[in-house]
Amino acid sequence: MMASVVANGNQDGQSLVLNGVDPETCMIVFKNHWAQVVKILEKHDPLRSSSMHPTLSVINLGVGSGGVHRFGPIPGDEASAVQNYVEHMLFLLMEEESGQGGCMGPILEFVVMENVMERLFVWSLRREFTDEMKLEQLKMYEMLVGQARQPLLHHKPILRPLMMLLSSCSGTAAPAVEAELVLLLNQLCCILAKDPSILELFFHTSEDQGATNFLIFSLLIPYIHREGTVGQQARDALLLIMSLSAENERVARHVVENTYFCPVLATGLSGLYSSLPTKLEVPNEEWHCLHKVDWMRMPSLVQFLNSLEFCNAVIQVAHPSIKDQLVAYIYNGFLVPVLAPALHKLTLEEVMTTTAYLDLFLRSISETSLLQTFLSFILLHQHESVYILDTLVSRINTPFQLGTVSMALFRTLIGFYCEDVMLQLILRYLIPCNHMMLSQRRVVRERDFYSTSAAKMLALTPSCCSPDHSPPPLRQLDSILFSKGGADTPNSSSTADEQKSFSEEDDSSGNSCTIGSEIYLDVSYLHYLYDARLSISSCIRACQVWSALYDAEDPPPEKYQPGVLEEPKLEGRQTQTALKRVPKLLVSNARSGLPRGEPPSIHQLELEWDDSYDACPVQTTETPVEGKPAHLSPSEPPKHIQEMRRTAIMLVKGSYIEENEFQDDVMVYNLVAKKDSSEAEHAEETQSDPAHAPLRNGLTLPTSLVSDNDKNSLKAKAKGQTDCNGNLQNATPVESGEDFLAQYEELICILDSEGRGKRVKGDRELNKPVSPVEEEEEEEMDFMSFTAETPEPEKLQSPFGTVQRLRSGSSNRCYSVPFTGPFISVLFSRLENMLTNPLHVNLLLTGILAQLAAYPQPLLRSFLLNTNLVFQPTVRSLYQVLATVKSQIEELSASRLDFPERITAAQHWLLAREASFTATGDNNRLRVKLQCEIGFSDRIGKGWEPLP
Amino acid sequence: MFCPFYNRQPDEEQGGHADQKTSPARTSHKKHLPPIPKNAVPITKPASVGTPSHLANGTHASYGPFYLEYSLMAEFTLVIKQKLPGIYVQPSYKSALMWFGVIFIRHGLYQDGVFKFTVYIPDNYPDGECPKLVFDTPVFHPLVDPVSGELDVKRAFTKWRRNHNHIWQVLMYARTVFYKINTAEPLNPEAAVLYEKDGQLFKSKVVDGVKLCNSHLFDQPKVDDPFAISFSPWNPAVHDEAKERMFTFKRRPEEHHKGAQVSGLSWVKPGSTQPFSKVDSPQS
Repeated sequence: MMASVVANGNQDGQSLVLNGVDPETCMIVFKNHWAQVVKILEKHDPLRSSSMHPTLSVINLGVGSGGVHRFGPIPGDEASAVQNYVEHMLFLLMEEESGQGGCMGPILEFVVMENVMERLFVWSLRREFTDEMKLEQLKMYEMLVGQARQPLLHHKPILRPLMMLLSSCSGTAAPAVEAELVLLLNQLCCILAKDPSILELFFHTSEDQGATNFLIFSLLIPYIHREGTVGQQARDALLLIMSLSAENERVARHVVENTYFCPVLATGLSGLYSSLPTKLEVPNEEWHCLHKVDWMRMPSLVQFLNSLEFCNAVIQVAHPSIKDQLVAYIYNGFLVPVLAPALHKLTLEEVMTTTAYLDLFLRSISETSLLQTFLSFILLHQHESVYILDTLVSRINTPFQLGTVSMALFRTLIGFYCEDVMLQLILRYLIPCNHMMLSQRRVVRERDFYSTSAAKMLALTPSCCSPDHSPPPLRQLDSILFSKGGADTPNSSSTADEQKSFSEEDDSSGNSCTIGSEIYLDVSYLHYLYDARLSISSCIRACQVWSALYDAEDPPPEKYQPGVLEEPKLEGRQTQTALKRVPKLLVSNARSGLPRGEPPSIHQLELEWDDSYDACPVQTTETPVEGKPAHLSPSEPPKHIQEMRRTAIMLVKGSYIEENEFQDDVMVYNLVAKKDSSEAEHAEETQSDPAHAPLRNGLTLPTSLVSDNDKNSLKAKAKGQTDCNGNLQNATPVESGEDFLAQYEELICILDSEGRGKRVKGDRELNKPVSPVEEEEEEEMDFMSFTAETPEPEKLQSPFGTVQRLRSGSSNRCYSVPFTGPFISVLFSRLENMLTNPLHVNLLLTGILAQLAAYPQPLLRSFLLNTNLVFQPTVRSLYQVLATVKSQIEELSASRLDFPERITAAQHWLLAREASFTATGDNNRLRVKLQCEIGFSDRIGKGWEPLP
Repeated sequence: MFCPFYNRQPDEEQGGHADQKTSPARTSHKKHLPPIPKNAVPITKPASVGTPSHLANGTHASYGPFYLEYSLMAEFTLVIKQKLPGIYVQPSYKSALMWFGVIFIRHGLYQDGVFKFTVYIPDNYPDGECPKLVFDTPVFHPLVDPVSGELDVKRAFTKWRRNHNHIWQVLMYARTVFYKINTAEPLNPEAAVLYEKDGQLFKSKVVDGVKLCNSHLFDQPKVDDPFAISFSPWNPAVHDEAKERMFTFKRRPEEHHKGAQVSGLSWVKPGSTQPFSKVDSPQS
């Protein structure tokens, strides 16, 4: 109210132009105005005192309860009189230049001495403190702070009423007030960033109020995940403070120890994730990853990405302690409790959607430590004792879009040039070198000087695609670049004599230096070589940061014989960090002793965030695995790995039947479903006669392990009713009554102060009874992830079971038969089906192979591309797979009369496709794909950079 | 004293640097190769399933030049890796089969000699004869042809064996002949006889030859090729900076790549095969 005119003064305040007005006059005017104001103020002051202490108590009581009218209403004319005076006074203050040597100008000095601002604030509190008034006061400060010609915030008598105003506005829900509040906070943060010396004052001011906090920071937290301008401004402001924290230990410590900044950020991701569509509307069959055009159309996804981007930015600029905490919370508060179950949902569409999201998230992250968090989640986290990575790999072989979306995810993963990823995916299987004959180890490092491998690979080009049969456009493209040498030499200005001598020498020596005829092949093949060279050299450069060469010497194969490969530690350092940090927050909660779930506004001054978040991440990592069929001894590889090994063996024995299976997707799923249910029945029988307990893998299970719970849920599973969510619910009584998903939901609801009741949709849907159709799918999907589980009794006993854990996952594989890993085996099996695959699948496949072929590690390179290397008889090589494909193509081309025409049409189509991609600037990715359609020979012609 | 700096064409930075940034396909710097060598046809041929016309004479023979070029690149890289003392080579602009070189003799009879030469590689490499090495100015030496300047390389490589013989060995041989003089079956009988009979006269002839060679050092290269090696007198404006860079360019050429956008990731502790085993990643 009092600032209404002031706030509008930007427009109609021209009457107050003070240029050239004598400062002394200004001072006199100011004092006069103030004297008038004080008269009115004192008339209504209950204690007739200018001391601030009694008023402060009024503030604390009054804030949030809509003002106090103890001494009756203030007459309107008096109010407007004050308003007029104040308006003039503030202008005078704003326009005042700072005094000599940077000291206060006289008006400011007077304001500070007389505690003008605070008394004005108290005055406005005494009247009805409506949203409108808050708005006006916020605007007043915004103007004052933004436009004053001398620094004002250094002075407590100005800063303190500002803080009081801010805290009184914190509980507000009026959008206009919120917008103005965030704008002012943003402005304050900008000033802080420019002049960190004010920081101390900000902390001290808070102390006076009885709470050690950093109010402007705390006030911003609830707006972190807000959409629109308000959210953006809040995030920008928080980022300014984050970069401040990098230099200021105190800010960092405060954020880490006294605020819920990191948990709010991380759980906010969980909340926003829950509001994403659980099933994507897929535009067409070819679709396999979320491009910008896709997610721009989904507001909830845009909002999630904004928050993820914000986390990314915070991690980039903040103090290491904040970074560590945030990363730990993202791991334990988002990835493990939300994303992991989402990756194991019940229907193909849901899992496919989650996979596409994960791929998008990975591509959106730029900060390495955040990426590390995501990657260690994928590589090391076990969901229901199966590694996420293994589950994802196994899905590559799924028909429908889940398979292609999974492939796209792996394309992203391989594209990171990350040693850890490549190690887990492929290299760990190659390190022991038992995929090749012992005598061949030195060949791994040999250089193929004369391109014999390339020649062999290129000889696999189907005759219909041989270079001589390229359609005209391929040949004419850019052919101008390949004209004879000499025509465009830079030295063409040199004298004719010199040129003559050159050519004479040329002739006399008999060493021909120029090209005899045009090589038409150049055109497309050189482009291919150029692209291959580009990707190889960037990969080589990227891999310079790797820890080992992977050349059959480093790491030494003897040291890592199969089964001896090191076990990954618990959950990486993320969990460790979390273990250290979380208790602190728990302690602070306990001290505050507040009932949970109270509206946050009341206690905001003492406690910056409502304490409904007290989830202990340690427990969340240990989602109890109860009620799972116990049919494997912990030392055995998980079943799906065994399946894959069997698949790999079948592949090489030529009895691989998958090809037929995948020709009819429905049949596969029927088969799988049948298998699943028969297994469940089998398991049930096992229960009825525990004494014998003969298990599928021939091992006898100690009956003591099969608890009652297990039996019950086994039956449940046989009926096809167990699902992820059910597990979580079963778990709650066991685990000290904590349903984490529900907690997140709760937290997010409070977070979502817009009050639109954006409750977590996904979970509720899960709770609904499944329709018959879904039930079928569920069985089908479950097969892949569930059958691999093992009982882990220790987990049930200790809530902090991370200390010791029996590893039954992928790392504990002991193979008598050489095995190059599930990823290679799945990739090859899909590759073998190239002829029946849809085009987009083949593009993805060849793209991934091209990526792999660019890696310089001799172990990988020799495995894929060295045709001179002699493998163990049971190991299938890329060459063999491609040879199979080639013979299939030759057969097909011989049986179809119109084959050449179709090839030409296809080539034209692919060229047009590339052109359209080039037009949209996405040609790099496509190039990688196209490279391999021309032929598999990334290695030949590497430019002036032969293999290291 | 001349300065032992020789000029390279500006486009070619650091002869030893194995990273050539220009694209072979998109710039005019493409090295052109001779027609398809007969022996470069790949051994494996596709089974004849398609129409016979598709398999007419060497379907894949057209890749031959690429194999050849790759071989030569690999050879060149090997040369760089050998770090042969006092020897510098550079393939010509026009053909990867012709390499320009210079050899600095630092002691012995031929001390202070700076001999430019050219290596000619047969176009059926590596299955043909051994490469030729011809000095631009015929050096007075028993094994160097006094007219053509060709060094007798064949005596060292009677048969060129792929996979065993490499071009750096030829260069190494060219250096050795100036330190350990062999007079058997000479290409320059006069030099051989003098060396055996009159060491003093031989020595003075060698010294004259070295002087003659050095006096022509700043001559324009005989061959008009942008990558031909040419010398110029020391010019502080040009060479000081280059010298500075040579001395500051330390062992770690990787640093050269820093700031490049693409970079790999690793959290694996050296000596471990365990992901995320590194306690604190350097990237963070």
